[in-house]
Amino acid sequence: MEAIIEVKHLTKEYKQVKAIDDLSFEVKEGEILGLLGPNGSGKSTTINCMLSLLQFSGGSIEMFGQEMKPDAYEIKRKIGVVFQDVAVFDELTVYENIDYFCGLYIKDKETRGQYIKEAVALAGLEEYQKFRPKQLSGGLLRRLNIACGIAHKPKLIFLDEPTVAVDPQSRNHILDGIKALRKAGATIVYTTHYMEEVELICDRVIILDKGKVLATGTCDELKELAKADEKVTVEVTGLREEYLEEIRKLGQIDQASYDGTSLVIHYQKGKNNLLTLIEYLKTKEIYYSKIYSERPTLNDVFLDLTGKELRD
Amino acid sequence: MLLHNFCYALRVLFRDRMLIFWTYAFPIILGTFFSLAFSNIENSERLAVIDIAVVENEEFTASTLWKEAMAGLSKEDTEEQLFSTRYTTEGEAKELLAAKEITGYFKLSDGEAQVVVASSGMEETVLQYAVTEIAQTEKMIGQVAEYQISQGVMPTEESLKKLSEEVLGQVQQEEGIRDASNGRLSYTMVEFYTLIAMTCLYGGMLGMTVVNQNLANMSHKGKRVVVGPTKKRLVILGSTLAGYVAQLLGIALLFAYTVFVLQVDYGNRLPLIVLITLVGCLAGLAMGIAAAVLIKASENTKIGVMLSVTMLGCFLSGMMGITMKYIIDKHLPLVNRLNPANMITDGLYALYYYDTLERYWFDVISLLVFAGLLLAAAMFGLRRQKYDSI
Repeated sequence: MEAIIEVKHLTKEYKQVKAIDDLSFEVKEGEILGLLGPNGSGKSTTINCMLSLLQFSGGSIEMFGQEMKPDAYEIKRKIGVVFQDVAVFDELTVYENIDYFCGLYIKDKETRGQYIKEAVALAGLEEYQKFRPKQLSGGLLRRLNIACGIAHKPKLIFLDEPTVAVDPQSRNHILDGIKALRKAGATIVYTTHYMEEVELICDRVIILDKGKVLATGTCDELKELAKADEKVTVEVTGLREEYLEEIRKLGQIDQASYDGTSLVIHYQKGKNNLLTLIEYLKTKEIYYSKIYSERPTLNDVFLDLTGKELRD
Repeated sequence: MLLHNFCYALRVLFRDRMLIFWTYAFPIILGTFFSLAFSNIENSERLAVIDIAVVENEEFTASTLWKEAMAGLSKEDTEEQLFSTRYTTEGEAKELLAAKEITGYFKLSDGEAQVVVASSGMEETVLQYAVTEIAQTEKMIGQVAEYQISQGVMPTEESLKKLSEEVLGQVQQEEGIRDASNGRLSYTMVEFYTLIAMTCLYGGMLGMTVVNQNLANMSHKGKRVVVGPTKKRLVILGSTLAGYVAQLLGIALLFAYTVFVLQVDYGNRLPLIVLITLVGCLAGLAMGIAAAVLIKASENTKIGVMLSVTMLGCFLSGMMGITMKYIIDKHLPLVNRLNPANMITDGLYALYYYDTLERYWFDVISLLVFAGLLLAAAMFGLRRQKYDSI
């Protein structure tokens, strides 16, 4: 697949602080690339540099094979952006807002009308077209924000944390909409600090922290980077210290801890661990209320790489 | 694209309640207060025709100039009437003065013009002023006659009469007397002129609002506009045109309200009044655009700066009292030369009070230069394409 975006050695400094530190990556045509990282990791700064809103100290950015500059209007015509903050006019209705922003790209009224109709349907705003933004809930407002950014049918879409502070129903709607956009042929750069979203929709993920790339790959590839391959949790009370010590010696165990109610065990390899543990508990007549196994998450990967949680 | 932006910017402005209030309602409310407050003050302070006496002695009877001058200033039921004059003996004049039936009396004695008053005040000052002016005129005529004789030309009675009429006309046109005596003229007008100036300059708020909506460092909407494929200047042009139209509507509403409801008489030079108002609105808009582009601060700070500059400008140009305008004109003329509120106020003032248009055109051109410089600076600032931070 052809690379639609090529970022090479991008560096951005605010006074003495490096907000982006030698960042390089590509975005292939038709993929959804996730930029995952906690708040302040440099995701939005990267997007703003890529859109030529921010000056950067070093590096280069190419889109559609051309250098991205503030006056690269032909490139801009192919781009749609949904910023983290809702950017709509309070004085205009839902329909007027979409029409205004779409009108910056599409001159023909008839074509625009059709595009708006499709954007409204994608965002699920059919019933709210005559509403003013202040009459909308947070989730609907986010959907309007997205509709304003994608109504002109861009080939490349930047979505900067589009689901921040929205209800689960709207979040699902937004994620379904993003999948639909990709299905329609759009390439998407998606920033978030919600690992679940990344796992749900992204083909490839870049994990960022302090402006640096920590890891790149598909979700499965990234999970391979986690120290633990399986996590087993046992809800049990009154576990004696001697049993805990014996459990730690069962094999393949990287780490085992007990807080009085839950026994959490991290395994290096994720095969047949649960069966062995259950047999041990049965032998020792240790009674538990619940036992379950989990594969490592991207949060675990981030934790292993940085020593902190994604939401820290 | 220009039309698309223009239409939507206009729609946004007309639906912004705060802007509607400051642009349309506030000047009308202020105008109503001016009308209520100043009309009473003006009525009470307007100078009535002054009762005086003239000692009709031989010297006075023999002086054509003095006779005609006093008769001219005492002509009843005319706009020029300054005095209600009784021709008496000196004794009668003294009695009338003692009975406070007259403000003062005037007599010619040994070629000297004398004014006798019982106290000091505005009316006494006006009497003294008029007599001094006529006396100077008499002296000037004497000098002209002497000069003509020395050149071998005998002055005719007709030529001397013409000269005296010209000088007498100047006495009646003197601002100090005319302002106080002519019922049609009023210093309240200056308050309304500054109100118009303020409304023009309030357009700066509109200019600032529409420009901020298109700047990536000032609003999220601006970021969305800037990442689009439309040139920033084109988007801003459409928006500022909408701001200008909205502002002109505000001025039109103010004029309509003050003329038809408050019965303010702006004189009979409507096209010129409209012209300076259009230019004044442009200056206001330019101020707002320049503030939006050039001041590196939050939107609230910019609004604060705009409001402060506008109100200070209006204050210095006489909104809270005409005296301030005269003080600044006299002691700090450069301040008012650079003050857009004063340029508008002064232009309207010049249209109303003077027959010639030199001062008016000077103000119009000053406003155009002011607006042009600010717009040029703003355009220069807009060349900036990327930001250090947003």
